[in-house]
Amino acid sequence: MYDLRVVVDHIKGSCDMPMHPGDYFEVRGSRIYIPDNKYMCLWALQSLMAILPAKQRDSSDPDDWLPAARYMSCPDPNGMVIFRIDRIERTSSESGVGANGPGIKIKPELCSGCRACELACSFSRAGVFDPGVARIRVDKDEPEGHDIPIVCRQCADAPCVNACPFGALHKDKTTGAILVTYEKCKGCRKCEAACPNRAVFFHRETKKVLICDLCGGDPKCVSRCVTGAITVREPSEKEGECR
Amino acid sequence: MPMTGYAGRILRVDLTKRTWQKEVLDPELALRFIGGRGFNAFRMFREIPGGTDPLSADNKLFFATGPLAGTLLPGARFNVSAKSPQTGIFGDSNAGGFFGPEMKFAGYDQIILEGKCSELSYLLITADGVQFKPAAHLAGMDVWQTTTEIRRELGDSRVQVACVGPAAENGVKFCGIFADLARPAARTGMGLVMASKNLKAIAVRGSKPITIADRDRFLRLLKEIDEMIFNHEQYKPRCALGTTRLLSSLNALGCLATRHYLTGRFEKANDVSGERLASTWKTKSKACFACTIPCSRFFIVKEGPYSGLRSEGPEFEGLAGFSSRVGNGDLGLALKGVDLCNRYGMDVISTSECISFAMECAEKGIISAKEADGLDLSWGNGETILTLIRKIAYREGFGDVLADGVRAAAEKIGRGSEELAMHVKGLEIFQADPRGLKGYALGLAVSSRGADHLRSEPSFEFSEDREEAIRRYGVPEAAFRLEYKGKGRLVKDFEERSALADCIEICKNTVVNMEVIYFEMAAALLKAVTGLDTEPSDVQKACERVVNLERCFNVREGLSRADDTLPRRFLEEPLGPECGPSAGSVVELRPMLEEYYEARGWDIETGIPTPAKLADLGLTWATPH
Repeated sequence: MYDLRVVVDHIKGSCDMPMHPGDYFEVRGSRIYIPDNKYMCLWALQSLMAILPAKQRDSSDPDDWLPAARYMSCPDPNGMVIFRIDRIERTSSESGVGANGPGIKIKPELCSGCRACELACSFSRAGVFDPGVARIRVDKDEPEGHDIPIVCRQCADAPCVNACPFGALHKDKTTGAILVTYEKCKGCRKCEAACPNRAVFFHRETKKVLICDLCGGDPKCVSRCVTGAITVREPSEKEGECR
Repeated sequence: MPMTGYAGRILRVDLTKRTWQKEVLDPELALRFIGGRGFNAFRMFREIPGGTDPLSADNKLFFATGPLAGTLLPGARFNVSAKSPQTGIFGDSNAGGFFGPEMKFAGYDQIILEGKCSELSYLLITADGVQFKPAAHLAGMDVWQTTTEIRRELGDSRVQVACVGPAAENGVKFCGIFADLARPAARTGMGLVMASKNLKAIAVRGSKPITIADRDRFLRLLKEIDEMIFNHEQYKPRCALGTTRLLSSLNALGCLATRHYLTGRFEKANDVSGERLASTWKTKSKACFACTIPCSRFFIVKEGPYSGLRSEGPEFEGLAGFSSRVGNGDLGLALKGVDLCNRYGMDVISTSECISFAMECAEKGIISAKEADGLDLSWGNGETILTLIRKIAYREGFGDVLADGVRAAAEKIGRGSEELAMHVKGLEIFQADPRGLKGYALGLAVSSRGADHLRSEPSFEFSEDREEAIRRYGVPEAAFRLEYKGKGRLVKDFEERSALADCIEICKNTVVNMEVIYFEMAAALLKAVTGLDTEPSDVQKACERVVNLERCFNVREGLSRADDTLPRRFLEEPLGPECGPSAGSVVELRPMLEEYYEARGWDIETGIPTPAKLADLGLTWATPH
């Protein structure tokens, strides 16, 4: 099961509720959490209801469209509030995804939003400072003060690997990292659509996939993070203990 | 040889003709002025002739970032400069956040804006150049709305937006240019210059790498800097409280600007302190680009009439500005005041000075409630404070009188209010009482942008390190805040340290206050990053050059020694007995000034740089006539 954050991504029409971009609520287990002093439009909520439990569940079927579908519109044709459904964290590791492997652990509530991780990544891998070629990025919601490092979490069932039609991705048996055979990558972006964490990126020039490979065991983003938002998950640690 | 570290290009935009061109950065300029504020000072002197009307199309607006910004060095920044409509002299402001590095990733060390748009517009600046975008739909929007709307319409949450709020559109003189919602280049009215050019915002999005000349050497130096920071005695308190820790510490010293400097002790300081905010409504630590000291914070007000208010910030200046300075002991109200200024797009120091000035005028019977639109101007009146912020932003009624800044407001009001206007050269004074910090007091008097602590930030005077003071400045007194001896040499040195931070565009907290980067380290970093051959003495000289050139700009505008002064209160009225360790103190300005001019090699009678000093700095071309 995943926890979800449902965010007002943008508003195409005119919402008189009014909802504002950045407004959000969270779904944790079977509970809906609306932040203090915020509200949620009943009509929009009823249009989202059916998909929320579906987005919470795991799916390893590469043909399943659910992991990739993220945007939902409110039903008011004049309002057109577009909601984005983000999977924020896994609530339990029972389904086995990444349960016992090593990997990156994220605590968004500690992230200062400084983006040093992006620079450390690009400097270590490309020898330059360039967030555009980093394999990690910090998603920021400035009005709400959310900073969320987005990076590969080494899922055990690796939907990106399953989604690649060219066999360009595989999972390293020892480190659990997703590794890329660049000659095989055609830049088709099927892995991007399959990733539940939105953690697959593409190189600006080569158009090929960029995905965290744990720097071979010593992730530079982790060593540059001073707040403890990005740490290494020990093999024995269950992913569900992240939060 | 292609230069690394720098983006290597300067973008010049003609807003009138809607054209732009890229100029190649001259390595000689890089060596002589380093970057950021230095580049802006050079262009300001060269391209804005004396006597230019700051609000005419002839004024230019310069954005610049520095050679070390956008790397892993902590806390990248940018400077915005133009002739100031608020002060009429050198205008300049610096901000952190994410705009500076993004500008560099877009491929520009400096962006020069000339002329004036024919209609309200915003610019989208990328590696490909400039797109002129209509902004009629953004007219009147506040800073938060504008930033959010531009990101939405460009469909890119990683676009960095520097914009002005409604106050600038309404012609308020102390408007800033705001990036990241709450990170303004707030001082000296740069927002009004931007608005006068019919420009609502600049959006930048980068797609170019920053390259480094010697990567191994850079990583070794970075490690050294990391260790200095992590082992620094100020590291933990700065992470926990940032600048907000100053509220309680200055209050303990008896020099916290309270009720418009009528005293240096605020009886409700504990209710509005940084410690109080951190233990109640702070939700997490925040940081500027790549910074290892997350000294900023996000907060959500959890109770009271402002419940639900949330934002990054505030810094000390905003927090004290809307608490002790105006006599308010309600933390929620202070946060609301800062938030309103951020949304309308105004400088919190100038705004809080205007309001506290009005309150003192009312207390002394200089202005009546009727003149102030019937507002109750007693200290700490929350409704009055918030109403006045709005009235200033929209130039309504009494707000219109205050919206030109405190110097102009006092000229309009007259009746002796002039000597209550707490400014130097038209720029309002910060939230510490200069009587309790003599080096800072001198720094305020001589700063090139008017009253400003960030031009020198001589925090060494808190150190009480006698031996180091003798070594550096010849006398032990330089290490004690209430002494005046040695402060001329101290301020000269710290003006150059501050210029260094503003030129390399790395945070002043690290470079100046924590003394992590001095000229030796700066030269080593510049060599490793840019590949340019520079020695510590070259770096020091470049910083001295910047200070001198800014002075020459102001001399050309008619300023001299007579303008290097402070409001009468600080020179003549001692701090009261309630001010503890600072009680009885006044600013001994004259001896400090003379020591300063001598240290600077400026004429002691006029305060003007001598031809010999300018020749020594290679600035003969800037010699005042």
